[in-house]
Amino acid sequence: MKVKVISIPVQDQEKALQFYTGKLGFIKKVDVPLNKDSRWLTVVSREEQDGPEVLLEPSPNHFEPSKIYQKALFDAGIPYTQFNVNDVKKEYERLISLSVEFSIKPTEMGTVKIAVLNDTCGNNIQLIEML
Amino acid sequence: MTNKIIDVGKLKKGVKMTFYQSEILRLRNACYCNKSQLETVIGTRNYINNNFDKALNLNLLSHIRFTSKFHLLRLFKKYYGQTPQQYLTDKRIAAAKELLKKGSTITETCFAIGFESPSSFSTLFKSREGMAPVEFQKKSNFHKVVLM
Repeated sequence: MKVKVISIPVQDQEKALQFYTGKLGFIKKVDVPLNKDSRWLTVVSREEQDGPEVLLEPSPNHFEPSKIYQKALFDAGIPYTQFNVNDVKKEYERLISLSVEFSIKPTEMGTVKIAVLNDTCGNNIQLIEML
Repeated sequence: MTNKIIDVGKLKKGVKMTFYQSEILRLRNACYCNKSQLETVIGTRNYINNNFDKALNLNLLSHIRFTSKFHLLRLFKKYYGQTPQQYLTDKRIAAAKELLKKGSTITETCFAIGFESPSSFSTLFKSREGMAPVEFQKKSNFHKVVLM
């Protein structure tokens, strides 16, 4: 078994694609139309284009429990997904300049430094740097 | 709901926090309050990052941090969840993959990442990546050609 795809539920796939590529810097990898309002849409890290794909899936729009779960996590400030970066502070400053909202500023947690941002599609995303 | 930006390091009691923010604060106080232990393990990891291409062992790493090797082993595992040797191997394999992608030979790669014998390097690489270094290199070159 191999890890090839991880899923992030998003409320609007097109908006999510703009955010994950335009702000976070991912690259679109696969885009397959499924029906009028759903696509199999994945992005990958620019630095690791053969690495795991992130599936931007529209489940909150089609499955009520997914919507409820996503909202509960968001309201509790919990990031269900995290991405590794080399320098959290540098990424934080870059993203702040692109008007990205953060709920936690760069913070040391022992052997890691973290920050938490709002992906504008219903999720908190944690950035993490190993110290 | 938009969460207020929080600098957890400056939080005070009574400030309204999300569940996650309060958990961060609680865990930080419960698990990461020993500064000298943190300095030891972070310093050891940095040393490995900067010297993975040299002959490294637990004796040397513990001398650098003025601690016993068993204490260092315990601390590193406690904070990073793996032993210094496991971390060193990860680091070397990651560096080997980059060198192989750039066209280094197996022997050049082996010595550049601190291994002493190409055969032990190839065996370890295969056990970790599921393919021999030479296969990995061919596959990377193929991807490069296809992408061009």
